[in-house]
Amino acid sequence: MRRVILAVAGTIAGLVALLSFKTHSPVATGALPSAGLPVAGTRSSTPPSSTPASSAAAGPAPARSSSAAPKPPASAANSPAATTKDYTGQAVQTQYGVVQVKVTMKGSTITNVSFVQLTAYDQRSQYINSQAGPMLLQQTLSAQSAQIDGVSGATYTTEGYLQSLQSALDQVGH
Amino acid sequence: MTTVAPARRELAAPPRLRITRGPALAVVIAGGVAAILLWVHDTTYVSGFGGWLTNAGRITGLLAGYLIILLLALMARVPALERGVGTDQLARWHASIGRYTVCLSVAHTLLIIWGYAVTGHTGLVAQTSSLMLSYPDVLMATVALGLLVMIGVVSARAARRRLSYETWHLLHLYTYLAVALAFSHQFATGVDFMHNPPARYLWSAMYPAVGATLVWFRLLQPLVNAARLQLRVVAVQPESKDTVSIWIAGHGLERLAVEPGQFFRWRFLTREHWWAANPYSLSAVPRNDLLRITVKDLGGHSRSLRGLRPGTRVIAEGPYGAFTAAGRRLRKVLLIAGGVGITPIRALFESIPGYPGDVTLLYRASKPADVVFAQELQDIAADRGSRLEFVLGARGRGKRPDPLSAQNLLRTVPDLASHEIYLCGPPGLTDHVRRQLRAAKVPARQVHVESFTF
Repeated sequence: MRRVILAVAGTIAGLVALLSFKTHSPVATGALPSAGLPVAGTRSSTPPSSTPASSAAAGPAPARSSSAAPKPPASAANSPAATTKDYTGQAVQTQYGVVQVKVTMKGSTITNVSFVQLTAYDQRSQYINSQAGPMLLQQTLSAQSAQIDGVSGATYTTEGYLQSLQSALDQVGH
Repeated sequence: MTTVAPARRELAAPPRLRITRGPALAVVIAGGVAAILLWVHDTTYVSGFGGWLTNAGRITGLLAGYLIILLLALMARVPALERGVGTDQLARWHASIGRYTVCLSVAHTLLIIWGYAVTGHTGLVAQTSSLMLSYPDVLMATVALGLLVMIGVVSARAARRRLSYETWHLLHLYTYLAVALAFSHQFATGVDFMHNPPARYLWSAMYPAVGATLVWFRLLQPLVNAARLQLRVVAVQPESKDTVSIWIAGHGLERLAVEPGQFFRWRFLTREHWWAANPYSLSAVPRNDLLRITVKDLGGHSRSLRGLRPGTRVIAEGPYGAFTAAGRRLRKVLLIAGGVGITPIRALFESIPGYPGDVTLLYRASKPADVVFAQELQDIAADRGSRLEFVLGARGRGKRPDPLSAQNLLRTVPDLASHEIYLCGPPGLTDHVRRQLRAAKVPARQVHVESFTF
């Protein structure tokens, strides 16, 4: 009986120690991708581009920030009077990590979309995210909505992305 | 008694490879650590309650996957392990690791379902059905889990007493099916193997490696030996009312390198015995052409051996067991036999190296009629200048004194702690004497025990 208790307690203690060790270690993902509409007037010929937003930190990030997105000049939007505003979606947990999206709106146009969080619990998921993340952002900019095809082979990331994006757009009243 | 009489050894066993308890345990533990390191290596981040559950599920799954292969390896009857660790010790490891593996597998299943349900915001029932139906090979693994739990339940001590050895053994064979069914889901769904080719190759290589070891040592080698040795029963001789000795002859037995104190699993090729291989110790020092076993009537298989005819062909699997002179370090030796436990002790009493006065044998039996080999033992004692004590009488209970209590043992053998002790008998007796020896301050490493369990 004593050995049974020892085995159970030892196993649980070992599991907790291992898991908490991994919980404290930060994700070394580097920069999170973001995508924005080209700034009209200056370089109008450039196609929509994906750029790593170096300011976005790994792991949990502040819910709202206005520094990450480049501010398009007034002429770029359909309404000159419209102001630029950030909307941060909810953090969505998937089986393989956490996805949280932030959109920058000017009037009813999505001018920039980026990740606040894009974590992966394992290396493979991290690789998938690094491929699928920029594609999802591009699709969103092109579609100007959450009606996108998603990325095959990254089903979970796509689902989490769409859920977070939709919750951000819901705040705008799209 | 002036001549120095070293051990009589008609069959010198060449030194053979022995893997003892310490190194064996170290390898076992290193494997478990490697499995955990695999998880540490592949996991970058654990997040949230769901993440904790899922990852706890992954770790328990990895450990269960490693241990189940280890369970098979422990039962592969690898000679170096059989000689170094001992068959009964391996069986005890197998039993406790087996129980632990079943628990880990159940924990793995529940944690994964719960973890996925928490992260996916679904119910437990919906998550269970989606796991079983839409994840590759998980349904097969679920069947494997059911089999493992069944095997665990029938192997539990209480249930086993109600089953015959044969039924229990047959149900145990389903372990192989469970291992086969659980094999593929590890690679189809396991994050640690899907995208880590070296880990995948190493992990899957364990299966053919252990499988080949099993087939070789449990199947092919006994058959090869049977063809070479051509063993046959030459005589069946009653030793007491319920004990019988069987003499078995063969060719070139020295190739087996049998050591006194070891046993074989015997398969007598008659219509009613051929399918069962039962363990019986050699009761005499083996000769190049002749072996002797002594069997007590414990019902079933052992009873019907009385009717064996000379000329019956025999297959012997072995030799097994670490109950030999190889583990001995001290000069003085105390042999304690209980009942039919005298069989390997009798072989050791004859052969364990020692000078006159070094070797003592305590032979415990309930009544004089149960004593076997009385004359043989007295002859050996006289020949080698060894001491022989019969301890007769019913088991000490209540007011009746216990002849094998620490006090009485110390009275019979005052310098008990300076003896290497070999103890063989039914489990009740060996457990009892082991406790008494501990009470008498005999270090555990000096005590070698062989008990009749399957």
